[in-house]
Amino acid sequence: MILSNTEDVPGQEIREFYGIVTGSSVRAKHIGRDFMAGLKNLVGGELTGYTELLQEARQEAIDRMIEQARSTGANAVVNVRFSTSSVAQGAAEIFAYGTAVQVE
Amino acid sequence: MEDPLVQIGAQIIPFFLLMLMGFIVGTTIESNHYREIRKREAQTRHLPTISFRRPPPSWQITSTALVHGNTVVSIDYFKRFLAGLRAITGGRITSYESLLDRARREALLRMKASAIENGFDAIVNVRLETARLANSSRNGQGTAGVEIFAFGTAVKLAS
Amino acid sequence: MEWEPSDLPENNVTDVHPLRELGLLLVGIGGATIVLTLVLAFFIDGVVRFLPAEWEARAFSGLWEELDPVSDDRQGASQELLDRLSLHWQENPYQLRLFVIDAPEPNAFALPGGAIGVTRGLLDDVESENELAFVLAHELGHFERRHHLRGLSRSLALGLVFGAATGGSSGTLLTEWVSNVTQLGFAREHELEADRFGLGLVVAEYGHTGGAADFFEKLPETGAGAIHRMAAWLATHPVSPERIAALKRVARQEGWRRHGELTPLYLNAEPR
Repeated sequence: MILSNTEDVPGQEIREFYGIVTGSSVRAKHIGRDFMAGLKNLVGGELTGYTELLQEARQEAIDRMIEQARSTGANAVVNVRFSTSSVAQGAAEIFAYGTAVQVE
Repeated sequence: MEDPLVQIGAQIIPFFLLMLMGFIVGTTIESNHYREIRKREAQTRHLPTISFRRPPPSWQITSTALVHGNTVVSIDYFKRFLAGLRAITGGRITSYESLLDRARREALLRMKASAIENGFDAIVNVRLETARLANSSRNGQGTAGVEIFAFGTAVKLAS
Repeated sequence: MEWEPSDLPENNVTDVHPLRELGLLLVGIGGATIVLTLVLAFFIDGVVRFLPAEWEARAFSGLWEELDPVSDDRQGASQELLDRLSLHWQENPYQLRLFVIDAPEPNAFALPGGAIGVTRGLLDDVESENELAFVLAHELGHFERRHHLRGLSRSLALGLVFGAATGGSSGTLLTEWVSNVTQLGFAREHELEADRFGLGLVVAEYGHTGGAADFFEKLPETGAGAIHRMAAWLATHPVSPERIAALKRVARQEGWRRHGELTPLYLNAEPR
């Protein structure tokens, strides 16, 4: 599956398009991680627990989006966009969407 | 001084009732909503909806308009409790997944419906936005609801 | 470029039944809470006995006034008896204070900071000085073993664990309830320890253990539900035939005289 955040896949031509495909993942870190992040907040720096959390969630969102695209018969998702939002206390949603297409 | 068991009962019984009500009513509402979403998705699947910034060059566009659709949804007491427990252990918060999924599909459907209603043939450059509406009570904890906003440019094609 | 309508799989929602999720989470979190509380309680038990009594007295001075003590003309004589008993406990670091509270059910409890509360019901029920002396000596036993602090700090530990788990927003009553239930197990062991110490003081004062167990035989069987709420974590006094049997066993092991002349109540008090 080709992913791209441009309108087309360079060097290839879009034959068919199947519409918008989406992938989302809502996750939280366990309370120990939250606590560590709270401490880290005092001194600043990378909150590795949360970096991991968001990366895992993003990967899952991409995987789900690809799964949708695959089921339509597409071989690429173009114009991929990500959005991150905090849907509840301590929980983050990563949302990925793009247009499923057939390229040649 | 009251019997402690009475006081604990007074705190726990409403909780169980809310959980039960949330579970039964929430599940019913959700499955009805999903049924309706699937029906309307089948009705609107013919409308090309893409996130390209520009329409394909082969299209002969006669007119355009901005179309949008939004939804604010909230989860039931039962699922909110589940999400609260999940926040302790970490991991996937499954009870929020269906909430967001429903909201997103509903917002897209409303956007599509308004395009179809106005005689448009396709929507390009579709964008989706998510916003959390925080609860003002209970020191900002909890979530009153989540808004999903879908928007795009509807185009009319020369036939 | 052609439009190809398609149906998408509903893969953005994990297929798991909410009740199953609830079950797993409750079992997991409940188990972790129990383990954490036990570990914390064990840790606090180890630390608390090294806390100087002076700190304790300063931190909790005036706590007993919160319980609405009433004036009772038996208070003076009982305080005098308490002071007399405490002379046999050489290492006593506390400034002991006895107060009476207005409650009909017989009960006594040790409060952090060296205060002992007795109910009017208890003063009405006791028939000899030996009997009252044993109740007071038993409470001194709690002080000696720092049980009252352990109970308090256990409640704190539990409160901390629950507070962290629930974000401090809910379940204070639930905490108290769980605390009471968990205290019961510890309490039994503590009561026996306090009994053993108390009996020693009684023997030192009177030369025999006579009258000591009389009080228990008068009390009705108390269960978890009937515990006085205010004092529940401070004084859970399991009254059972085993406890009386345990007292007799201690007396036998130590070779203490089991019977002797009972001292009448309030011998030294001013005439009423």
